[in-house]
Amino acid sequence: MDRQFIPRSVQRSSFARFAAWILPWILLLGLGLYAMYLCLAEGLNQTNMDNRFAFGLWIYLDLTVIALGAGAFFTGFLLYILRREELKAVINSAVVLGLICYSGAVAVLMVDVGQPLRAWFTFWHPNTHSMLTEVTFCLTCYLTVLAIEYVPVVLKNRKLRQIPRFLVFEFELHKVMPVFAGIGTFLSFFHQGSLGGLYGVLVGRPFAFREVLGIWPSTFYLFILSAAAVGPSFVLLTTWLVQKLSGKQLVKPEVLRFLGKVSGWMLIVYVLLKTVDTLYWINHTAPAEGAPAYTFYTSPGFGTWILFAEIILLGLLPAIMLLSKRLRERPAVLVSAAFLACCGIVMNRFVMTIQTLALPTLPFDQMMSYVPSWQEIATFLAIVAYGVVLYSLSFRYMTLFPQERDIRQ
Amino acid sequence: MFPFIYEFHWTPVHVVFLGIFFSVVIVILSTLSIALLRSYKAFRKQQHETIQWEAEFEDLPVAARTCRHQITGEIAQRTCNHEFDCRSCAVHPTFLAQRAPVLAPAGKEESVFGFTMPLDRYYHRGHTWVKYEGEGVYTVGLDDFGKRMIGTPDAVELPAVGTTLTANGTGWMLKKERAALRILSPIEGVVVQTGTAQDGWFLKVRGREPIVETRHLLRGEEIKPWIMRELERLQAAVSPEGVGVSLADGGELVQDMWKQAPQVDWDGVWGEMFLQA
Amino acid sequence: MEQTAQSKSRYGMVIDLDRCTGCGVCMVACAVENNVAPAEQKATERTGVTWLRVYPVSNGEGFPANDTVFIPMTCQQCGNHTPCVSVCPQNAVEVDPSTGIVGQIPQRCLGCRYCMTACPYHARYFDWWDPQWPEGTEVLLNPDVAPRMRGVAEKCNFCHGRLHAARTKAAAAGRKEIAAGDYVPACVESCPSRAIVFGDLADETNEVSRLSHSINTFQFLPKLGTAPKIFYHSAKEWVRKMADRAPLA
Repeated sequence: MDRQFIPRSVQRSSFARFAAWILPWILLLGLGLYAMYLCLAEGLNQTNMDNRFAFGLWIYLDLTVIALGAGAFFTGFLLYILRREELKAVINSAVVLGLICYSGAVAVLMVDVGQPLRAWFTFWHPNTHSMLTEVTFCLTCYLTVLAIEYVPVVLKNRKLRQIPRFLVFEFELHKVMPVFAGIGTFLSFFHQGSLGGLYGVLVGRPFAFREVLGIWPSTFYLFILSAAAVGPSFVLLTTWLVQKLSGKQLVKPEVLRFLGKVSGWMLIVYVLLKTVDTLYWINHTAPAEGAPAYTFYTSPGFGTWILFAEIILLGLLPAIMLLSKRLRERPAVLVSAAFLACCGIVMNRFVMTIQTLALPTLPFDQMMSYVPSWQEIATFLAIVAYGVVLYSLSFRYMTLFPQERDIRQ
Repeated sequence: MFPFIYEFHWTPVHVVFLGIFFSVVIVILSTLSIALLRSYKAFRKQQHETIQWEAEFEDLPVAARTCRHQITGEIAQRTCNHEFDCRSCAVHPTFLAQRAPVLAPAGKEESVFGFTMPLDRYYHRGHTWVKYEGEGVYTVGLDDFGKRMIGTPDAVELPAVGTTLTANGTGWMLKKERAALRILSPIEGVVVQTGTAQDGWFLKVRGREPIVETRHLLRGEEIKPWIMRELERLQAAVSPEGVGVSLADGGELVQDMWKQAPQVDWDGVWGEMFLQA
Repeated sequence: MEQTAQSKSRYGMVIDLDRCTGCGVCMVACAVENNVAPAEQKATERTGVTWLRVYPVSNGEGFPANDTVFIPMTCQQCGNHTPCVSVCPQNAVEVDPSTGIVGQIPQRCLGCRYCMTACPYHARYFDWWDPQWPEGTEVLLNPDVAPRMRGVAEKCNFCHGRLHAARTKAAAAGRKEIAAGDYVPACVESCPSRAIVFGDLADETNEVSRLSHSINTFQFLPKLGTAPKIFYHSAKEWVRKMADRAPLA
């Protein structure tokens, strides 16, 4: 029934099957929207956050999805600025992923703050010393850029492109895309960094505080690197997943291998610098603040195994797997390495946000625990559901993988 | 945010921060405006047909964009990067200098792999033909290959007399089943008369100049290899997985392929063969 | 941030932990003075609002060596690189250069809670619920202090209502400076054992200034370099050692 909206020459499942796939997600989205409504109408008492654990699940996952969404800017940067034409095969998919991640994160942030209607205050009288100001400005601008980058993808829909106005606008927009890719890269550098700086500047939290390099703490640079390293891996992983779910080959294998290679190089540089940073922090920064680093790892849940897992198991190991040409050529290894790299970022953002808040700062305090409420989890699941719905619709009605048609023949 | 707002400080950090922010906003907005303005201008100048073709061409599979000189075997491998407009191609004249195909005398029926392809006319890659009728008027029609792929169309939407056509722009529309097909105009000019499928032609077009440049159209000895190539493309489009769908009937291609193989995704096949994404 | 170093006054406190009995009157006085609404039924010790909180800390020994110290913990009015000021995205936290008091502007607060994350003393509180006063108790509200709405952060500001009152009184009398006795925060005033001494640390003739330099006086988390203006005093060695220890050490 929706055949005329589906791109020519590609196979998509019947509308009934598509509806059956999308419906549970829409129900989940509905539940999440209800949870969001509760939080907005009743207040943040609906969450399990408190005065001690003032940032919870939402901030943690916001930082994570924004890092994963970095695939959009980095792929755009490689394609439009460095002219790696092979990435045309995944750029549309990367843009949709980026849009989902960023718009989802911003939506959750709007629930997370106590007075969302005052969000514009940050623009009106900004405190330019605050990392959060930098994050707010960059996120707003970059979300606009992502929306603009998504417009051509939508306008190329089979039905919409029949309207000459749309096609001409799409054509002209496509010509100026390198400008948006450049701006997107510039903004991404700043806000990925500022998200790292968010915790790095916390002088009152010796676990998170890092020495300033230039005008930003070291976490600023590490967050940029880790996001750029994991972005391509996430694009790789989602492309593989969509291929599995749809049962179709969507891109040539060398495209995925190239993404893996880029990810590997960025990851190895990140792991190296992260190691240097960690050593300096253990030996200098933390003790100078009156908190010897060993005290951070005394509680059973947060032992030193965290450092090992984050840097070696989920950093160095996938980097080596992605950098070895022999290993990379085996699809199973490539995909597992990308998965491990993504887990690494999930872990790193967890450590930076949750462990920072769980550790006490006052001498007489103990470790603090926090378990998110169902409203918090449902709100986040709403974003996941929204992402699946938007991606599924885009995959069905738009051309996310231009190579799909060529491969079929 | 602005100097007249409380909490604005003329400190370096504040000025640099807001300076960068406003620069970014200005770049985003001006780039967007440029794109909008350009598309508005393109419309004013009636360039949208050309642009539409350029955009569609970009989205065509590589196999559909093969250079005519590869088809004839003059060069091993070459993908067209001039949207099938050999008039602006720098390489095309060098091939012409070596071998220039010419039209055959009128009235000579030519059967190419079972298709009736008279060689007294020019052919466009989108399966239309053009024939010069004298006094600056050209007749335009759908070729036999195109006809047999579609069979009898459900509806034909022809442009009104007086419409200006662009080469590679929309010639006319054919509707069949769910598919709405844009048949590309092989030449530019003004429509002076419209025909029907029964007439064997669809449009009579007066060229903008007395002699319309036809360098981009196929002719003569190019037709046979081209049709062979098109048959290969058709076969690939009809049965991508290599499963046999027979379009031939005792060695002869059927008159109405659509009727012969209704299970095929004709919408996709037509799109591919009539060069639209 | 650096302005506070050159400010005229630097209000601060010295709290004598040896005198504090943990009675909690200061907490009540603070809440009443600053229109902190009665706790919501579902509020816990981690979601309730108490600008001043008294923590009991034991020395961990058994009877008879057991000893407990009560530590009133409030905003430490950090005087250097005040952690909550630089993080606020919209200038809702500011240090008053003339008093050194770290002020919170709830009307401008977005409720992002970044300042709460930044504060190592957990002295900042969030309004998780709408503030509600039981029927009839509204008349007890302090007209000098605006109650805060749901969804913003709040904290101790050394009873700014009282500071304004003192300033008004001085102005009425034709004086530019307020008299020391005219400005006393509610917790200081209410303490039955007079454990809290309040005043201008910049004025070296002042008792608070003298006590802040005296032996056995210490600060919490001095190594963070934030120069808190709340000092604690205890003659007991274990208390001072405890305060100097790293958490979980």
